[in-house]
Amino acid sequence: MKIKFTEEQNTFREEVRSWLEKHVPQKPLLSLDTKEGFEQHREWEKTLNQGNWSMVTWPKEYGGRGLDLIQWLIFEEEYYRAEAPTRVNQNGVFLLGPTLMEFGTHEQKSKFLNAMATGDHIWAQGWSEPGAGSDMAAIRTTAVLDGDHYKINGQKTWSSRAAYADWTFGLFRTDLDSERHRGLSFILVPLDLPGITVRPIPQLDGEPGFAEIYFDDVEVPVENLLGGDGDGWKIAMATAGFERGLMLRSPARFQQTAAKLMELYLAKQDHCSPIIQAKIVEAWAQSESYALSIYHTASKMLAGDSIGSESSLGKVFWSELDHMMHQTALKILGASAELSQESQDDAAKWIKGFMFSYAGPIYAGTNEIQKNIIAERLLGLPK
Amino acid sequence: MNFIFTEDQMQFKDAIKSFLTDECTPKSIREGWDAKKSFNLDRWQSLFELGVLNSNLPEDKDGLGMNQVTLALMVEEIGYAGLPEPAAEQTFLVNDLISILPKNISKVIEDSFDAGAKFISLAHPSAPNPLFLNESAGLILFDDSECKFITKDDMDFEMIPSNDPSREIYKINSIKNAISSTENFQELNSAVSARGALMTAALLIGLAQKMIDLSSAYALDRTQFGKPIGSFQAVKHMLADVAVRIEFAKPAVYRAAYSLSENNPKSALHCAHAKLMSAQAAELACKNSIQVHGAMGYTWEMDLHIYMRKAWSMMACWGNEDKQQDIIFKTLSSSSEELGVLYTF
Repeated sequence: MKIKFTEEQNTFREEVRSWLEKHVPQKPLLSLDTKEGFEQHREWEKTLNQGNWSMVTWPKEYGGRGLDLIQWLIFEEEYYRAEAPTRVNQNGVFLLGPTLMEFGTHEQKSKFLNAMATGDHIWAQGWSEPGAGSDMAAIRTTAVLDGDHYKINGQKTWSSRAAYADWTFGLFRTDLDSERHRGLSFILVPLDLPGITVRPIPQLDGEPGFAEIYFDDVEVPVENLLGGDGDGWKIAMATAGFERGLMLRSPARFQQTAAKLMELYLAKQDHCSPIIQAKIVEAWAQSESYALSIYHTASKMLAGDSIGSESSLGKVFWSELDHMMHQTALKILGASAELSQESQDDAAKWIKGFMFSYAGPIYAGTNEIQKNIIAERLLGLPK
Repeated sequence: MNFIFTEDQMQFKDAIKSFLTDECTPKSIREGWDAKKSFNLDRWQSLFELGVLNSNLPEDKDGLGMNQVTLALMVEEIGYAGLPEPAAEQTFLVNDLISILPKNISKVIEDSFDAGAKFISLAHPSAPNPLFLNESAGLILFDDSECKFITKDDMDFEMIPSNDPSREIYKINSIKNAISSTENFQELNSAVSARGALMTAALLIGLAQKMIDLSSAYALDRTQFGKPIGSFQAVKHMLADVAVRIEFAKPAVYRAAYSLSENNPKSALHCAHAKLMSAQAAELACKNSIQVHGAMGYTWEMDLHIYMRKAWSMMACWGNEDKQQDIIFKTLSSSSEELGVLYTF
């Protein structure tokens, strides 16, 4: 055991830091849930890519840097430290990218990976349907093979980024007689095809971050099938594993929030009761534990272990932690916790983060589903 | 960066686990309770012969020179088994202090190590009631300003009841003769506080794991409404919540152990973190385990309380949750620039 960074890792950190210091926009971008903000974030993806920083963990042959998980964590720490923009293409870079590398054909990899890296293709998720939320196997949107294309009919919903994205990936029922997990296929769909209607859904914060996608006889070339016909569930589970696991929820995000919470508390402590102190300590202790756990897991993975259901433990932990920290911030802010306009204490930022923290226990598989997974697969309890 | 255990470390952990599985069963613990003698001399002698009791003494002092990380892994197993003998919270602590104790005290203690499996008790304001004084050779006593050593014959003590019958605890009525020293007291006092927090934290991880294992087994076995109760989500989620807390307490314990072994200046903070996280995990493990067991969990007959009682004591001693939060808050608020993403390691 050696819990400290090597010379090389520290040098790498400096390289990341100095690039970010030069390139992170001085003025915060508009929200990526607005049309203009979305395009600003696409530009940022291009800038990142020019510096070869947009998909650092991808292998070099796909244009990445082939960084290991520890270097990735360092990159993320610096990224959050620099307060760099949110990754508008996280569905692509962190979820579909690794899935394509594992299951895609050579043609698919060369067509999609590069366009993902440059920000030319921004991806939306297409999992949920009105009747298939936590019960994803209840998917009913059909894709019927007809010669050299699939004909898609049905509806997807809660599609993150779909309001402005270029493509979506998701599960479709290709075997109409099938039930549940069988007969589903993983298909990549451009959102500008005839027959597609995207209806943005205003979120809790008033902005259209996710959307409904309607498919009416949409013809998608058969080359857009990822993996085999009927392999969709298996592939989607791999993608969901990437989402719950390391790739999207780096500890730096929560540690940064804990640090900002401490700053806020120190500035306002004269207005707070001592009870808040315990919450500040919790914020530090839990975000620190989350970071330690991720480095522990990353080390184990580098030594050849794989992670499975353990990622469900992390998902429950970070989403509850994020909510607790934002709740605490609002308590410190007192009456200014209702200001939705920028103020001295960054009240509006905290409130936006607070609202978003309600989404954490829901997206990427609700915490209730995660707890079922923990109980059944890690503790051996019956279905 | 390689936050991972070596094969040797895992072997030590497995070895002590297998010894304790055989030698420290709930039945043997209950026999100690019934006989009002929880200290099992045979088991203690075996632990001595296996080298466990001296594991963290330097090799030139007949130890294995084991570092804190391996020790923490072993202590986790000691917690899991609910071992009544005070290996973790007395012997390992004392072994660790030997090299930094004032010379006049360490000399007397080292002499007493020749007596084989005899051990030295330890008391500190955060764990003021020493364990098993009848079996020990003497007592290291910390008060607010000095450190003392008292041989068994030089003090008058009496047993006081503990809520955990596995723990024979004592209060000291009078001291006839003591060697005392104020030398290096601050350093010594912080060293013992941090190590006490770490040892109890590692014990609590093991205890919490034991409780969740007992509860999962019970939830599989017990049927109601025609199904195992473990198939109901309300039960699943209670146990999953505990599993989450244990998962995120463990790395805090390992990091704290590593910090101590590296003499990291932040090790006091890291030990407080470890104890805080593991005490919270254990507290939830107690609450949810007894709930999963239903009325059976509230009986003397069910083994759950063997581990629950020990966990309650371990939460209380060597700095409870409140004390650890206080240490963390004071450290963080005095140096807030060292908080956050770049200061974990």
